[in-house]
Amino acid sequence: MIAVLGLVVGVVAGLLVRPEVPAVVEPYLPIAVVAALDAVFGGLRAMLDGIFDDKVFVVSFLSNVVVAALIVFLGDKLGVGAQLSTGVVVVLGIRIFSNAAAIRRHVFRA
Amino acid sequence: MSQHEHDESTRPSVSPPRTAPESPPPAGLRRELPAEVPAPAAARQDVPQEPGGPALTGRQRLVKGLWPPRVTRAQLIVALLLFGLGFGLAVQVASTSDTDSALRGARQEDLVRILDELDDRTERLEDEKQGLEQQRDELENSSDQAEEARKQTIEKERQLGVLAGTVAAQGPGITMTIEDTKGTVEANMLLDAVQELRAAGAEAIQVNGVRVVAGTYLTESGNGVGVDGNKITAPYRFKVIGKAQDLEPALNIPGGVVQTLEKEQATVTVERSTKIVVDALRAAKRPDYARSSSQ
Repeated sequence: MIAVLGLVVGVVAGLLVRPEVPAVVEPYLPIAVVAALDAVFGGLRAMLDGIFDDKVFVVSFLSNVVVAALIVFLGDKLGVGAQLSTGVVVVLGIRIFSNAAAIRRHVFRA
Repeated sequence: MSQHEHDESTRPSVSPPRTAPESPPPAGLRRELPAEVPAPAAARQDVPQEPGGPALTGRQRLVKGLWPPRVTRAQLIVALLLFGLGFGLAVQVASTSDTDSALRGARQEDLVRILDELDDRTERLEDEKQGLEQQRDELENSSDQAEEARKQTIEKERQLGVLAGTVAAQGPGITMTIEDTKGTVEANMLLDAVQELRAAGAEAIQVNGVRVVAGTYLTESGNGVGVDGNKITAPYRFKVIGKAQDLEPALNIPGGVVQTLEKEQATVTVERSTKIVVDALRAAKRPDYARSSSQ
């Protein structure tokens, strides 16, 4: 419950504050958000499976974000930033879908 | 899948004793789990509905996680991370949907392309601007030239008008008055006077209100003289515009106009003046036969 509240408060704060995104983190923010979403869905699935662990969640969340940003950074340096970003988004999307499917089975039994 | 296997495996065991042996190992991994889930109560609730057993289903775990809210370290950490996620999500969505910074999300290649297009467009517009400015300059020049030509034409018209007698003229010159009490002055004498004046550089001449122009002719007319068909009588008053220093001596030279006239008992007076007004006019007449052969 607190976690859900945290998400809601974060969205509201982001909408209200509307901070200027620093140019340095600008290319990485969308990918980082997608990676974090993947971690959140993974955590939700783990919770429904009953194997949720906050330590694992924190580590996976942070490492997902960092690795995604790193891949984008590396891609930009190599000149294949757009393609690599697409690849990362595709992989994370697939993971999100599979996690969402597991969650769906838990919640709707279908 | 895993849920079913889990259910299968837990089915044989009886619920109340099950939690006791299982709780020590999770205590190391998940500290709050035993506190969160009072297994006996859950099991008792489950028994009528779920033949599967006392183990919590995913849905129940979700409900239990959501309500009642518990302030634990795990919840707070997850809340913090989710706060970061929500914040980033909202910021990204806001900055992407912001129309002003549509270029913000654009990649480098796109930006370069857009910049190139803008450069091309700027160049084209610059060319167009130069062309239009050139055109404007040309038009201004041509209108200036037309204005200049018009001024010159007007000036020339005035100059020619003075010669043709269509406009009034004024300037320095002389007035010559010929008193003819005896009636001895003839047309040829006046013609001589006119010729002499012309030779001395007279620019505009009128005699008794008749303008003397290029086509002027003098005829005998009773006791007077006809000038272009207008009869004039003595005294003959010549108004002449020109250089007075040239005109007066030209008339007074020995054997000249003045002497000849005085020989005929006429009285001639010549006065210099700085302002002579020749205001007798002649209608401009279009020649019937002669045409300009130039051009």
